[in-house]
Amino acid sequence: MDGPVTIRFETSTGEQIEIQARPGISVMEAAIMNNVEGIEAECGGSCICATCHVYCDRIDASLLPDRTAEEDDMLDMVAGERRPTSRLSCQLRVNDKIQGAVFILPEPAF
Amino acid sequence: MSGVVIVGASHAGVQAAVSLRQAGWQERIVLLSAEHDYPYHRPPLSKAFLSGEKDEEQLLLRAPDFYRGQEIELRLGEPALSIDAANRRVRTPSEMLDYDRLILATGSKARTLSVPGADAKGIFTLRSIGDAREIRASMLAAENIVVIGGGFIGLEFASTAIKHGKNVTVVEAQSRLLTRSLPQPIGDFIRDYHAGKGVTFHFGDSIDQFEVSECRVTGVQLSTAGRLPADLVLVGIGGVADTGFAEDLQLETAAGGVNVDPHGLTSAPGVYALGDMAGFHNAYSDTPMRLESVQNAVDQAKSAAAHITGKHAPLVAVPWFWTDQYDLKIQMAGLSKPGSRSILRGDPSSGAFTLLEVVDARLVAAHSVNRAADHMASRRLIAEKPELDLSKIGDLDTPLLKAVVGAN
Repeated sequence: MDGPVTIRFETSTGEQIEIQARPGISVMEAAIMNNVEGIEAECGGSCICATCHVYCDRIDASLLPDRTAEEDDMLDMVAGERRPTSRLSCQLRVNDKIQGAVFILPEPAF
Repeated sequence: MSGVVIVGASHAGVQAAVSLRQAGWQERIVLLSAEHDYPYHRPPLSKAFLSGEKDEEQLLLRAPDFYRGQEIELRLGEPALSIDAANRRVRTPSEMLDYDRLILATGSKARTLSVPGADAKGIFTLRSIGDAREIRASMLAAENIVVIGGGFIGLEFASTAIKHGKNVTVVEAQSRLLTRSLPQPIGDFIRDYHAGKGVTFHFGDSIDQFEVSECRVTGVQLSTAGRLPADLVLVGIGGVADTGFAEDLQLETAAGGVNVDPHGLTSAPGVYALGDMAGFHNAYSDTPMRLESVQNAVDQAKSAAAHITGKHAPLVAVPWFWTDQYDLKIQMAGLSKPGSRSILRGDPSSGAFTLLEVVDARLVAAHSVNRAADHMASRRLIAEKPELDLSKIGDLDTPLLKAVVGAN
């Protein structure tokens, strides 16, 4: 099995949280495993609750899988502003391609 | 003040603890769990976990060290044994806990069959991760699988088992699928989809007895259709609210659960009940009901946490629910109403459509198959109740949110 992948989450106030994530799980699951606040993931990764929203401003979009129609629809319903770089982190897999990537968290809803 | 004791580390119980901390609750939180596993998501148990796509770590609601970090005292394998309402105390196997507020979140139990042979090995219900581990091991070795009950868990399991190349038969007492929860066209669509994948159905039949050899199930004897060979049987005939403490506390009941108000408050002072075990008057239904769903567990927990911390956030959420079977994502918003008018949006033969239920030109429920956008729009339309333009809502070229009177 491949070694862990380093990914980062950046809060709306600019704080960076660096974590080691197991390849094959989702970015959402990696966030949950590392207690990253702001990723709620109420539905557990079924692409239906839109509570694992991240912005991928600083990631080359070609390194990420294309949005499915389903993810695209769900992104319309995220808390916080939808931007062109918005993704649901439950739909993104941890792999070598996103080594070092920074995922930006939306402003907290509460 | 001696804090909050939460009975049951279910999705509702964990969410209540999390929401209390988020709302600024500074007092003690004790989260009692009869289970030995860290709290986990239940919906994948019949799907991604069973199929091996997700492992146990991926099911966790929160990381194991989360609870300590939030000063939530998670007590695994430590169930509440009894509750003394007068003195506000919970007895566990190891101590007596005082509480100021008590939250019951014990969920529901699987209904079981009481026919001869029902205690044989190879016959399962699915509720906990322990059940799912056993079913998974048994499924991999099984050849002939019988699912009793054509509800969501049974159908999800059937779709998983078919993917593993098993012979799968579903026995349903009613003449159609999902008669309690879905309009007939959706149930029929799901039936046909399963049949197309190779699932055999027996409708309007029941179980006389299980055939058992050396303590293991070998077959199922049906009342009319005769014998089915079986080396694994899943009994999926619904859930019963786990209201074990309702009597200790002399709580009022509703719809088979503990009666609660929109804050999750029961009839006893300082006692809340959440999730599968709570019965309540939903804003979208004329009669009290229990809702066994993640959405309801989460939203009720948030309302209760708000109430406990002196805020006001009564439950007003539109109920929603989902089930994944094969490549179908079936999403339901709102609650079906008898006498509503059904309007189809999209063609079922295309595999993506929504059945809308309308009363007085207002949307009351929507049942979507692979139409996530319709589902999400429906949640809003059901909550906000705008007058619909009935000439447009069936038209796929008009986004559902635009199919209202006065929209441009």
